[in-house]
Amino acid sequence: MRIRSLSLLATGCVWLAICLNSSTLRAASRPPNQDASGPAQNQPGYKAYAANCAICHGDHLEGDLPSFPPLVGVEHHMNDAQIVAVIQQGKDRMPGFPDLKGEELKDLMSYLRSSTDSAAKPAAGISSSNASNGAIEAGGALFQQSCAFCHGRDAMGGETGPDLTQSKIVHADVDGDKISEVVRNGRPEKKMPAFNFSAPELQNLVAFIHAQAAHAVASKGGRRGVSVEDLQTGNADAGKLYFNGAGTCAQCHSATGDLAGIASRFNGLALEQRMLYPEDVKSKVTVTLSSGKHIAGILDYLDEFTLGMRDESGTYHSWPVERIKYKVLSPVDAHVELFPKYTDADIHNLMAYLQTLR
Amino acid sequence: MKFKCVGSFVVFCVVLLPFVFSARAVGQNLDPADLVKPPADTWPLYHGDYSGRRHTRLTQIAPRNVGSLALAWAFQTNQGAQIKSSPLLVDGILFFTVPDNVWAVDARSGHQIWHYHRASKGEHIGHRGVAMYKGWLYFTTPDCHLISLDAKDGTVRWDKVFADPTKGYWSTMAPLVVKNHVIAGVSGDFDNLTGYLRSFDPETGAEQWQWDSTPPAGTANSTTGGMTWMTGTYDPDLNLIYWGTGNPTPVLNGASRPGDDEYTCSIVAINPDNGKLAWGFVVSPHDTHDWDAVETPVLVDGDFHGHPRKMLMQSSRNGFFFVLDRTNGKSLLTVPFGPVNWNTGIDAQGRPIPDPKKEPAPDGRLIAPDEGGLTNFRAPSFDPKNGLFIVDAHPSYSIYFAKPADGAYGWAGADYGLWGKGVLEAIDYETGKIRWSHFLGPGGSDAGVLTTDSGLTFTGDSFGNVLALDTRDGKTLWHAGTGDDIESSPIAYELDGREYVMTSSGGVLFAWALPVASREQHQASARKP
Repeated sequence: MRIRSLSLLATGCVWLAICLNSSTLRAASRPPNQDASGPAQNQPGYKAYAANCAICHGDHLEGDLPSFPPLVGVEHHMNDAQIVAVIQQGKDRMPGFPDLKGEELKDLMSYLRSSTDSAAKPAAGISSSNASNGAIEAGGALFQQSCAFCHGRDAMGGETGPDLTQSKIVHADVDGDKISEVVRNGRPEKKMPAFNFSAPELQNLVAFIHAQAAHAVASKGGRRGVSVEDLQTGNADAGKLYFNGAGTCAQCHSATGDLAGIASRFNGLALEQRMLYPEDVKSKVTVTLSSGKHIAGILDYLDEFTLGMRDESGTYHSWPVERIKYKVLSPVDAHVELFPKYTDADIHNLMAYLQTLR
Repeated sequence: MKFKCVGSFVVFCVVLLPFVFSARAVGQNLDPADLVKPPADTWPLYHGDYSGRRHTRLTQIAPRNVGSLALAWAFQTNQGAQIKSSPLLVDGILFFTVPDNVWAVDARSGHQIWHYHRASKGEHIGHRGVAMYKGWLYFTTPDCHLISLDAKDGTVRWDKVFADPTKGYWSTMAPLVVKNHVIAGVSGDFDNLTGYLRSFDPETGAEQWQWDSTPPAGTANSTTGGMTWMTGTYDPDLNLIYWGTGNPTPVLNGASRPGDDEYTCSIVAINPDNGKLAWGFVVSPHDTHDWDAVETPVLVDGDFHGHPRKMLMQSSRNGFFFVLDRTNGKSLLTVPFGPVNWNTGIDAQGRPIPDPKKEPAPDGRLIAPDEGGLTNFRAPSFDPKNGLFIVDAHPSYSIYFAKPADGAYGWAGADYGLWGKGVLEAIDYETGKIRWSHFLGPGGSDAGVLTTDSGLTFTGDSFGNVLALDTRDGKTLWHAGTGDDIESSPIAYELDGREYVMTSSGGVLFAWALPVASREQHQASARKP
């Protein structure tokens, strides 16, 4: 009893320190090693991190949501090649750091990876098994009211919503960093609405989701969701034939080009969903103004009345559609045209073939 | 003298007549007779009238002037839940809901008269609105209470529990008042439970009857489910209420419930006085895709291929448009209104024949439409002038999985939407042919539809624009961005000679009307020979 109380007290102190760290002390220059959740600062990669990354992602990988994602546990949702690609080429608003290479890059990678270990420690907070039963219970009640219809009462999938216990976001989540972002912002592309929960409500909700995920891992049988083993009924040779022939996939894609190694980057259901419709693909647009000037870029918004786009410099422009001429290039539409043509065997065969592209 | 008499008459008309006509209106009292022929200054039922057509006779807002339609007022609920209800309008007061909440708002100004809140456990996915009988409102809650409120001030008159939320029931629906019956239904998909309708005495809340859509849980080789999610319609001449029922349970695994699974995914006709079934029509025999058939059973009297008919029309979530003879439930037309790939044909009774190869499987089946369906709970509209049934459609594809480990309880499988879009489809009710389509954006729109006698179709797109279209060809005549998803069906009413169209988005209610000057011009032009 006594030992347990002490450890609870210690956990509480650490939690308090994290809270203080992330709120009151944010503006001040923080002394190192105050934050228990980040990796140690005496590691070789910390220097490169502090010089290049910390200004946005925080001194201790904690990020600053919603603008700057935390990097704690980044290993859970990106592989090394993907992380290196982002570092060197940038992503969205993040600039590339092409000068980070060789030993320096290697050290930085090892620094980022070390965060995974420290994040798994119980002291990391509510993602741990130390979340109080009260928080889980309160989160469960909120979940039943607002989330259960889509995600199932047990968070294992329901009407239209996926099984959260097998969700990559949930697995990568630390202290609610990923889950809170999704809950607050919604996922409009998947029709998930945004929710205005308070910070304590979010903490409870996150505690419940993690408890359900832990419960799902611990229990066998009765699982819903789709495992990689379920998606092995196709014939890879037939899939290759379809890819190069009737499926017309080869008109846009190449097994040695854009799809090389696709099965290393995605697997299971995520690969199949991406194969059938990659929903994050942006369309290109060329706008011709009344002056005759052309502006090309990425389509950002298009309803019946307004077109919005970002030009090559990332600057946003919009016009009433009747004032301009425009041409949208949306190669992803070819996936939609295939839907009425597929047999289920075509899909399983194609899936078998793509799984050979490692 | 003569002049004076005329003058007095004018004074009488201008000053006193409104009081004569509004005398009935004093004191929030809905005459049950008004439910059969609702006056223009009311919207006293979920669908505005018993037919479910959502077509208004009002003509002040018309194709020629809708371009100047403007905001009369907006009402902010200042809370997170999206409005999915249709307001009622009685005696100048609007009554509408989100889960746990009812508001009474002045329909002229948009200011709040009262707000009722009752916290509850249970599913809070949405709420469709209240019902009204005389001076009383009827409100269902997520924990399955039917609560009667005083329409004057929102105080509770009585509170009856009509299902057990601990078993997995909840409720979202606006009850239907027919004569001296308040009829409420239940929801629930995560447990193998029997769906039912229950009728209550509007004065005392005493139970009058209950109709079960499926046998009791545990009956061998039998289905459960058939939830009664949505408000039905009513034919006073035939004295029948028409209701859609939800999917069977277990949801994606049909092995334990062989056969058609009556009366799940069905349209049923029930006598409102005793709860006896007159007929039932299974819209999705042996459903394994969660396609509730709870979309509005729209009642239309008119010619069908040259013969006068009492029809019932439904654009169903499973992707088919049905026309039935509502006197006996016999099929007149069954035709898809978008991509559908789960049936092998149509049987002799006009029911789609499910393809066993398209039941959810361990390695997945590509299914059109997706689980949300080719349409969902938001209301379609029937326009009698153009003979068009207009529905917010959702062409879509998805993959459905089920394996033995998923069991035979509740959901019993998993499904994932792949792609979808929103399209307003104008269906010729005699042939099922699409006369025009209007693209509503990627993903899909969640807005219902209202048509007007002046030739307008109101709905919303997937970006949150509220749209007014020309009903003849679907061309856009007016729009306004509302800043959030439109999750409800529009209504229309006239107050003080001014027509309002009401829409919502997010937690905000919007009342749209012609600017006053423009309205005067309209009246002047209407007076010209």
